[in-house]
Amino acid sequence: MLDLALFLFICFLLVAGLRRPYLWVLTYLYIDIIAPQKIGWTITPAFQVSLIAFCAAFAGWILVDPKRGSRFTLRQGLLLALLIYCGWTTISADFPEEAWFKWDWVWKTLVFAIFLPLALTTRLRIEAAALTMVLSAAAIIIATGMKTALGGGGYENLYFFVNNNSGLYESSTLATVAVAIIPLILWFTRHGTVFPPDWRVRAFAYALIFACLLVPVGTEARTGLVCLVVLALVSLRDVKRRLTFLVAGAMMVTVALPFLPQSYYERMELILGYKEDSSASTRIAVWKWTYDYALENPFGGGFDAFRGNRFAYHMPVKEETGDHTVSIEYREVVDEARAYHSAIFEMLGEQGWPGLTMWLWFQALGLWQMERLRRRWRARSDPAEQWQAPLASALQVAQIVYLVGSLFQGIAYQPFIMMLAGLQIALWVYCRRYESRLAVPAQVPVAQRRPRRGGNAVAAGAGALR
Amino acid sequence: MIDYFALALIHGLLAIMIIRLSLRPDLDHDPWAETDQRARPRGRDDGDA
Repeated sequence: MLDLALFLFICFLLVAGLRRPYLWVLTYLYIDIIAPQKIGWTITPAFQVSLIAFCAAFAGWILVDPKRGSRFTLRQGLLLALLIYCGWTTISADFPEEAWFKWDWVWKTLVFAIFLPLALTTRLRIEAAALTMVLSAAAIIIATGMKTALGGGGYENLYFFVNNNSGLYESSTLATVAVAIIPLILWFTRHGTVFPPDWRVRAFAYALIFACLLVPVGTEARTGLVCLVVLALVSLRDVKRRLTFLVAGAMMVTVALPFLPQSYYERMELILGYKEDSSASTRIAVWKWTYDYALENPFGGGFDAFRGNRFAYHMPVKEETGDHTVSIEYREVVDEARAYHSAIFEMLGEQGWPGLTMWLWFQALGLWQMERLRRRWRARSDPAEQWQAPLASALQVAQIVYLVGSLFQGIAYQPFIMMLAGLQIALWVYCRRYESRLAVPAQVPVAQRRPRRGGNAVAAGAGALR
Repeated sequence: MIDYFALALIHGLLAIMIIRLSLRPDLDHDPWAETDQRARPRGRDDGDA
């Protein structure tokens, strides 16, 4: 029944796209985030729905879309360069079979991130893409939040629609994304036009934000807690009453603490006592190995190059004896083929220094462009110019949260984040297009602005009156 | 049960969104960004003599 319902919904989206081909772009966003073909078990997986939506989105844009306002930017150029470079490192990868497997989804992610801004040429299109992304992620977040609130969850005990650790169905990634989209959800409570802000929209948005806050608790992902702290700190920049925000936040945390399970405290303690945790100790060892590997292989080892790692490290192990004394013994642990657990080291190990440079440049440009838009558009008073600065701010905060979260997870090519980057590029192009139109009068040649010789004072302008 | 509820709720909202979008004329043409800004009525901050 569920399988049939998902299949019919995809059919509905594809049919709706016949009238408005842009809806196929949203169809791909929906399929890529929720992965209905993995939730279903007979009909939906039988069709290559992701491929169909991918082709439909491109075909609709190429054949039918007016393409007014489509621009190719430097950030898209960087993604294109990264895509070509990744292709080259894949050909000469240390582990070709695994590398081609990862390439299979990375190239689609990068191509779609390059394409997405070309299709987002109107305000409504930008909003619709953001809304589709938030709602699609919300399906997973609401289910996770409800299970957590009803006493379920726990590290590696939480069951999603799909349990293969891919995309947003990986607990740490979900926690990061759930926290990152909170500012975007808030934006819809003030500036949405598809669902105009009223009490129903606000009630849903606040409930969704509550579910987002429950995700780091339910998944017991340490990265989630770090992301929450970062979100709180960055939010201080935009809130009007900072003291009220701080006091309310502290009160909320104080009220929530007794309701958190003991397992959550034990897991979060490992953030400070990371040396006693095998997962954290391994990460540091992997990062050291990756740095050394990049010194020897400056152009990277291709996707999944971490499979070649093998290292030994010392981990302290506590042992309690009968007379309540604790002895700490350092044991040597040998580990191999451990994943990077960091987007920075993922890029460094797989794509070397050139790939890491392109990725960092791409991210830094996003932060800078959103900051520029935020500053230039926040003081405007025209009703049509109120939504740009808050959206730029929300997308920038989302990116900051992601970047901090990505320090501890190998999510350099996370599709959802690449879509967020696509939204940033689209907003940048849209605002620049508008600004360039505003600047047109100033660019009128001087000869045209000069008053006519012998004309009257009114026609000559203010200059003639001086 | 929770999974079914979340999926039903979100798919319902997505369906409403798609229907509303397909009826909006400004999905493909942005009147605000495509109109010549010099022809737009002036805002308060534009100033006037």
